Amino acid sequence: MSAILSNVAMSQTSAARGQMSAVSISGLNKFYGTFHALRDIDLEVASGEIVVLCGPSGSGKSTLIRCINHLEQHDAGQIHVSGIKLTRRQDDVEKVRRELGMVFQNFNLFPHMTVLANCTFALKLAMRIAEKEAEAIAQEYLAKVNVAEQAHKYPIQLSGGQQQRVAIARALCLKPRIMLFDEPTSALDPESVGSVLRIMEDLAQTGITMICVTHEMGFARRVADRCVFMERGEIVEAGPADTFFDSPSSERLRNFLDKVL
Amino acid sequence: MHFDPQVAWDSLPKLLAGTLTTFTVLLPVLVLGLLLALPIALARFKPGPRSVLAAAYIGFFRGVPSLVLLYLIYSGLPQFSLVRETFLWNVFSNAYVCAWIGLALTHSGFMAEIIRGGLAAVPQGTLEAAATLGLKPRQILFRLRLPMAARYVLRAYQNELLIMVKSTAAVSAITLVDLTAAANTVFDYTYDPFTPLMTAAAIYWCITNGIRLAFSAADRKFNRYLVRA
Repeated sequence: MSAILSNVAMSQTSAARGQMSAVSISGLNKFYGTFHALRDIDLEVASGEIVVLCGPSGSGKSTLIRCINHLEQHDAGQIHVSGIKLTRRQDDVEKVRRELGMVFQNFNLFPHMTVLANCTFALKLAMRIAEKEAEAIAQEYLAKVNVAEQAHKYPIQLSGGQQQRVAIARALCLKPRIMLFDEPTSALDPESVGSVLRIMEDLAQTGITMICVTHEMGFARRVADRCVFMERGEIVEAGPADTFFDSPSSERLRNFLDKVL
Repeated sequence: MHFDPQVAWDSLPKLLAGTLTTFTVLLPVLVLGLLLALPIALARFKPGPRSVLAAAYIGFFRGVPSLVLLYLIYSGLPQFSLVRETFLWNVFSNAYVCAWIGLALTHSGFMAEIIRGGLAAVPQGTLEAAATLGLKPRQILFRLRLPMAARYVLRAYQNELLIMVKSTAAVSAITLVDLTAAANTVFDYTYDPFTPLMTAAAIYWCITNGIRLAFSAADRKFNRYLVRA
């Protein structure tokens, strides 16, 4: 599987990015009214790195990931994606979003379009790729996530796991350098979880940069280069998966791991 | 009181001419109403003075009876010399134009609310997904949000359309002889109220059923995605 996903890796390595960090966040703060959702977040994600964000619900993981592609506006601090500074200007936002693919907890497929049309939609509208070519690209990625036979079905006719894999294919079609996953398996039944995690693990082998919010600790341990623990809008602890799980240094992370493992 | 087939047959040319008038009034009203409704509905989404104006527009034109509106436009406006003595007179002396404007204003008030409801029902996550895929706000609106909203409001639009078909009868108040008015003139010279009005009702029934079939077909085509099997 990792072999067939390799052209994603090609698009990664062929880009002349050197050792530039994929995502660079400094001094990030975000408020919802008076609620301080993100406090002084600093996070560097190297190109090709797999970072897992974990923490209790309400800790700001999703908010952080959504700030990176401007689904949420940050109030202070800086975000750079592939060296592009994220401002409130629409063309900066669009430039940043071209670097990023996003997978949501609830799939967010376009319900009135077939699986194939879901994938070709942005190729045609945002990338101005002709119908035939767009369909070829879409079919290629649908095959990679094992839903090629469902191409002409509507999302409602697919299982949750299949829908989420379509959502991953839809994002990959646009050849993003960085993939953001916002609890991609939280809305799935246990059987489907595996099928989605396998795709994500294969994807991780391709050299793409990944930032995943997930409660799948097994996945984090196997796949993550670095785990980041957040609580109450702060990054409490971050480190390589082994140290993170086996010898956490903060009390708060130890308490969290006691609960979830 | 009985139905006289001979009277029905003889009155058919008049009733069909009335039907033509009904459609001549109706079709521009539907187009004009929709074109007016869309920006009004969109204006309701962004808080501010434009939203307040749009709300006032909707409140006014849904509130005023269309018959009153037709009288105001056809008989009321010419009271102003500005209307009577300028090019506006070419516009407002024509009963069809007055009917189009009056009914389109009413129709647009209702349509704006239907469209607003449809747009509001599109899940936020779907719109976010489109944004993360690199679509521009305008593309998201016209290529995703409106097409989804149109599917949601198909049945509500069918209701509004059926109501409009029958509300066009109000135009007889400003001299136009639509289907209902035509039936009434047949009654005037035959002294048979039953036959022409029942015939007119049958023609309305045919029109509304044609619309029903068209909407069923549209529903099957555009809302296939809701069927699991």
